[in-house]
Amino acid sequence: MKNGALLIPVVLGWLAVWWMLPREKGRSRILGALMALGALLALQVTFLPPVVNLPPVDNFVRNSLFYLFSGTAILSGGLMITDRNPVFAALWFALSTLAVCGLFLLNSAPFLSAATIIVYAGAIVVTFLFVIMLAQQSGASNYDHHAVQPVMASVMSFVLLGALLFALQEWGGIDGKAADEVKAGQFVAQDAKVRANIFSRPPSSNPDEIGSMRVLGRSLFSDYLYFVELVGTVLLIATIGAIAIAPRRSQGTL
Amino acid sequence: MTSSELESQLVIGAVLFALGMIGFLTRRNLILIVLSTELMLHGVSVNLTAFGRYHGNPQGQVFTIFVLTIAACEAGLALSLILTLYQRRKSLDVYLWGNLGEDDLPVFTGGGTAQQTKPLDPNADLPHLTPAGRAPATPATKT
Repeated sequence: MKNGALLIPVVLGWLAVWWMLPREKGRSRILGALMALGALLALQVTFLPPVVNLPPVDNFVRNSLFYLFSGTAILSGGLMITDRNPVFAALWFALSTLAVCGLFLLNSAPFLSAATIIVYAGAIVVTFLFVIMLAQQSGASNYDHHAVQPVMASVMSFVLLGALLFALQEWGGIDGKAADEVKAGQFVAQDAKVRANIFSRPPSSNPDEIGSMRVLGRSLFSDYLYFVELVGTVLLIATIGAIAIAPRRSQGTL
Repeated sequence: MTSSELESQLVIGAVLFALGMIGFLTRRNLILIVLSTELMLHGVSVNLTAFGRYHGNPQGQVFTIFVLTIAACEAGLALSLILTLYQRRKSLDVYLWGNLGEDDLPVFTGGGTAQQTKPLDPNADLPHLTPAGRAPATPATKT
């Protein structure tokens, strides 16, 4: 069976998440951590490039950073959905966000990385922490110790993950393939003469400039000018709606 | 960026998405449900930026900026909705809002109890009119 190795990380990951999901009586965290580490290692062996890829030193640094950021993102994401204390869960989410910002940096998106840190870690997580601390002043509550349908939910999610990974493994990249093998579903580059609107400029031909503020801003405010205006309007409407929905503080409490 | 690097980024995005989905389905705390959707959005954003770098155009990053904007809107609206729901029931448990279904549907409790605290005002859930005008004079008040 060609894709049989795929089952190992998926099943191990399911076992780890199912073992660690919140329950009335806490389970051994060491066993869950061991299973999670085994799942990550199996995923690395099955899919990802080896860390030591020595001849170009650049690749080694890049791969190490990639493993650092992606491992942190996945582990703290898993801890976020399994932690019984909602405050800790929100903090794990903040750590996961920081790791994802590192992945953005590796994808040459420095502006996006900074903006995500400011919006998520600076605004969203802090306000959610405020609400958790105001609402649960008496500490962890009963409903945080029980998961809804833990077996069915985790099995369904890991079936979806297995399907995604299977599709990726079947695809296997297009680097070493002949041209007639990859013709289906190929990316078709945008014709340089086609312009989205009258402000559009032809795309930059320098591959090093991708992700620089100049290229990003020019694309955002010329090709996607109407969408920027539209999204700004949505943001304004959402702000007004949030103010309208928010409860009045009649008794001086939350 | 080679396509094997792209593939490893897509794997990370898929794993983050699956983890967020598990959190969305299994947590009972309203706030953690919303945070899990944000984790799913992170997985999608990793995919978008990886494709943008692979194809060498800024469109992936532009899309991610739009995703970020909509996520901010969503967080604000979700927070105000959660505050309203909290004020009604004084709890963040999502089971307390399971009474919108039909009466004969099964209720999944999955262990634990839903501690419903009655609101102080029994009519708090109902809409109420602001009193206006003068109270009519009744025979009882005349004497």
